[in-house]
Amino acid sequence: MATLHDGIVQPHQTRGDLRIDCDVVVVGSGAGGATTAATLAEAGLRVVVLEEGAAYTTAEYSADIPEMLGKLMRGGGSTVMMGRSPVPYLEGRCVGGTTVVNGGMCWRTPEHVLDAWVTERRLGHLSAQRLEPYFELVEQVIDARFQDPGSEGGVNDRFKAGADALGWKLSRNRRNQRHCVGSNDCVTGCPSGAKRSTAETWLPRFYAAGGRLFTHMKVERVLTQRGRATGVAGTLLDPYAKRRFRIEARAVVLSCGAIQTPLLLQKNRLGKPCGHVGRHFTIHPNIKMAARFDTPVDSMRGTHQAWQCVEFKETDGILLAPGAIPLAFMSAVFPSFGPRLAERMRDYRYIATGGILVDDHAEGYVKSVLGLPIIHYDVTDADQAKFVRAAALMAELYFAAGANEVYTPFHHLPIIESPDAIAKLYAHPPRVQDTEYFTAHLMGTCRMSSHPKAGVVDPNGEMWDVAGLYVADAGTMPGTIGVNPQVTIMALARVIAERLADRLGRKVPRAAGEAVTAAA
Amino acid sequence: MSSNFAFRGYTRRVARAVVDAMVPRWPEFEADLTDDVLEQVEDFTRNYPPFVRFGVVAMLYGLEFSGPLVLDGLKPTSMLDREAAIARLEKVADHPIPQIRMMVMLPKIMVSFSAYSRPEVETFLGAPRRAWRANRKAFRDRLVQIDARRGADPATPEPLVDAGVRPEDYLRFEPTPA
Repeated sequence: MATLHDGIVQPHQTRGDLRIDCDVVVVGSGAGGATTAATLAEAGLRVVVLEEGAAYTTAEYSADIPEMLGKLMRGGGSTVMMGRSPVPYLEGRCVGGTTVVNGGMCWRTPEHVLDAWVTERRLGHLSAQRLEPYFELVEQVIDARFQDPGSEGGVNDRFKAGADALGWKLSRNRRNQRHCVGSNDCVTGCPSGAKRSTAETWLPRFYAAGGRLFTHMKVERVLTQRGRATGVAGTLLDPYAKRRFRIEARAVVLSCGAIQTPLLLQKNRLGKPCGHVGRHFTIHPNIKMAARFDTPVDSMRGTHQAWQCVEFKETDGILLAPGAIPLAFMSAVFPSFGPRLAERMRDYRYIATGGILVDDHAEGYVKSVLGLPIIHYDVTDADQAKFVRAAALMAELYFAAGANEVYTPFHHLPIIESPDAIAKLYAHPPRVQDTEYFTAHLMGTCRMSSHPKAGVVDPNGEMWDVAGLYVADAGTMPGTIGVNPQVTIMALARVIAERLADRLGRKVPRAAGEAVTAAA
Repeated sequence: MSSNFAFRGYTRRVARAVVDAMVPRWPEFEADLTDDVLEQVEDFTRNYPPFVRFGVVAMLYGLEFSGPLVLDGLKPTSMLDREAAIARLEKVADHPIPQIRMMVMLPKIMVSFSAYSRPEVETFLGAPRRAWRANRKAFRDRLVQIDARRGADPATPEPLVDAGVRPEDYLRFEPTPA
């Protein structure tokens, strides 16, 4: 049985309260934290990573879904943001963070998004040209690559057949994987070891450079002195004893994600002057669709998502995609339960699932009220109109692929029986409150800006009003990006880490063959 | 961090009635899942933060006393027979007011995740996930060994035909009949 890396320190390996001095403490080990930590450690800095969750080996990713949700996800997977329609969301809480439980899609930030960041936000260092080498490096490190031929499976094949029949443009997904063999269990930790989460990529580099990661560390306080961050403190989640920790450092990097980072800042009353902490929250809301075919789809076999349909991406901000999910998750796609759901699920082998993502224009917020996290997001009516159109397009695609019924997430029209019935969607457009959404893309709550009044962190990722306190996660994105965000998060984190290393008097070494040029 | 939370007393009776109405049943599938799923729903709830646990219990009680909301009498749901309880919860799920429908949402997800991830249900529906996962692990190990022998790990994978792995073999799986 594989064991955890020596660089990981668990509660039973230490005693009493912990006090550590280091150059940089990084809070969080997901896409942002792991990239930052590895970059800084390889520059020769003494870096400590604190992770609230536990560490697991591939062999410990079990088939027991309730157990894995409890182990790998925040709140045991119960996280929901409120609005006219509640939106369940997914947030990893384990070594590797959300990269352990995501679908592994690897997309660079679209050029038109980066152009807007440069021209509208005046963040010249985030131009497509300047970020190019960062994207290349990230893709090398996490093994962003196409699926092995033959591993796609029925859900992806039906989707592709529909798009091809209609002549719609497809884009082949790159995913961070080596020989993904179509287990279709991404969301509870890849059981075959194919997925290259940060626990398999950036973090081993971090350990090799001498870094140490402590698990079960719940950071509660950011220590400051005369307006400068000096470390963090909190509780060690040791089930056998009440223990505290205090880490002192020259710089503090928060990489807890777009929800937990602003909550921590608010709890510590940091970043208040700018007025932006927790605001500008965007989520790429998505809806699930499904379709029934006459012949088996067997969604258990195949990869989560091998293609995306980008025909309507540029013009309408609509992305259609297949999305193979395990049986239990498929059961949650349908709004019914008991006998009605049992009857539907009897057709499991004949059902293909997919998702629709739209570029959102709404902004929600994250705030802490009496210690409780309040996460709020409302899909706008304009975005809802896009969802309705997108659902109609997806239904058209599935019927073109040979489906005989299409299932929607709309309360008043859960089933579309034929191509002719698609028009019903437009005749009585479903309201936001009659639609079931989902998301795993949380962004923008500590956005980067070129002016102290316009955002939370400066172009270096340092907070405008707290020296030595950095944010390196999806929260720093200056706006929605319209694609799966992990590559963007890692590229931005690398930029921030290189600049931080420079400030601390270190240069980031370039390994042979690595693509990155020096940060400007 | 899990707590020592458990459904106790009347709350357990309410939770059991809701689970009993929501678990799947098929004529050819003999096992009654209610007690096992109730236990798993309890495990789920135990892993939730305190305010979500409170929300789960509140929703269960909302469903227990939902009769007047759906014009279905005053009797608590846990005192109805199974068919009547299912009919009542379906009325709640179909209610025109979204906030009332929401009472069903979380219990439904917990019951579905629990019931449809049980090995006997997966196998019954044609998705023997545990066997498939084991098969995948072994298959990938074989591919990794092939890579090691070839001394190459291309970014754009090619069929490993030369090593005896054809694309059409990739997802091949012949499970042992249950």
